[in-house]
Amino acid sequence: MRSDPDLAHAAARGNEASFAELVRRHQGKVRGMARRLSGSDAQGDDIAQVTFLTAWQKISTYAGGTFSSWICTICWREFLQWRRRQKMEIEFDETAEIIPFDRSADQNEMRMDLTRALETLSEAQRVCVVMCVATGLTHQEAADVTGWPLGTVKSHVQRGVALLRTRLENANVA
Amino acid sequence: MREQDAYKDLSDLFRVEDNALQAQPFTRQVMHRVAGQKRMRRLVVGSLGLTGAVIAALQLPQLMADWVGVDKTVTEALTTAPAELGTAAVSQLSMAAMSNPMWLAIAAGAALCVFAVSTFERA
Repeated sequence: MRSDPDLAHAAARGNEASFAELVRRHQGKVRGMARRLSGSDAQGDDIAQVTFLTAWQKISTYAGGTFSSWICTICWREFLQWRRRQKMEIEFDETAEIIPFDRSADQNEMRMDLTRALETLSEAQRVCVVMCVATGLTHQEAADVTGWPLGTVKSHVQRGVALLRTRLENANVA
Repeated sequence: MREQDAYKDLSDLFRVEDNALQAQPFTRQVMHRVAGQKRMRRLVVGSLGLTGAVIAALQLPQLMADWVGVDKTVTEALTTAPAELGTAAVSQLSMAAMSNPMWLAIAAGAALCVFAVSTFERA
């Protein structure tokens, strides 16, 4: 099986089949990340599509290394642009409060699952948990992608994971 | 212990969700848009290149006319150069070359094509 860098280099030479293979390999991670960051499956898939289109245009700038990290960086930027367009600019800081997504009453009554548990985290914790736990980036990679200090990322992941476990345990008990 | 090992159980839960997403329809949609972008880029680059070529072709008759003039000027200049000790002929030749608008048209066409290609080619 060809490696990601091999496929990326072939795609940079205009080989669409290689790029399609990269899309097929990474669509799950990217869509999952975009869906969890945006809080919407449809919006998340739109962001993921734009992410791959941008990746196709900039594929020649991929200089090796982890392809996941590279594509997640693009996804993160596309997410920020999408949010800017939505005029929902939120400061990411230690004091960030829980920002619930818009849910109907029926949905609020639904059983708390993984996604719902994730949505109860603060914005910064959710971003860090999505990147490190759900997407599989290392703390350093997540720090590089977001531009946040490594210590901040580690701290948000640690607290986010602890809260996520508590929420899931409570949900299971209930 | 790797940092990811601390939350491997949660990562596995997320991975199950991600793996459940159907890859084929999404990949097809993305590649359809990629192909669309490629077609559009070719169309725009081709149109601009064609425009440049047409502009250059329109200048061709004038080129042919001016070419004869330049050629004649050069020949005359070379012939008279020894007699005129070079300076007058060189001056005449420079003026003739500068007055030929075809080179301006060729440069404009080439610049247009380069601009079109560099604008629409992938970074």
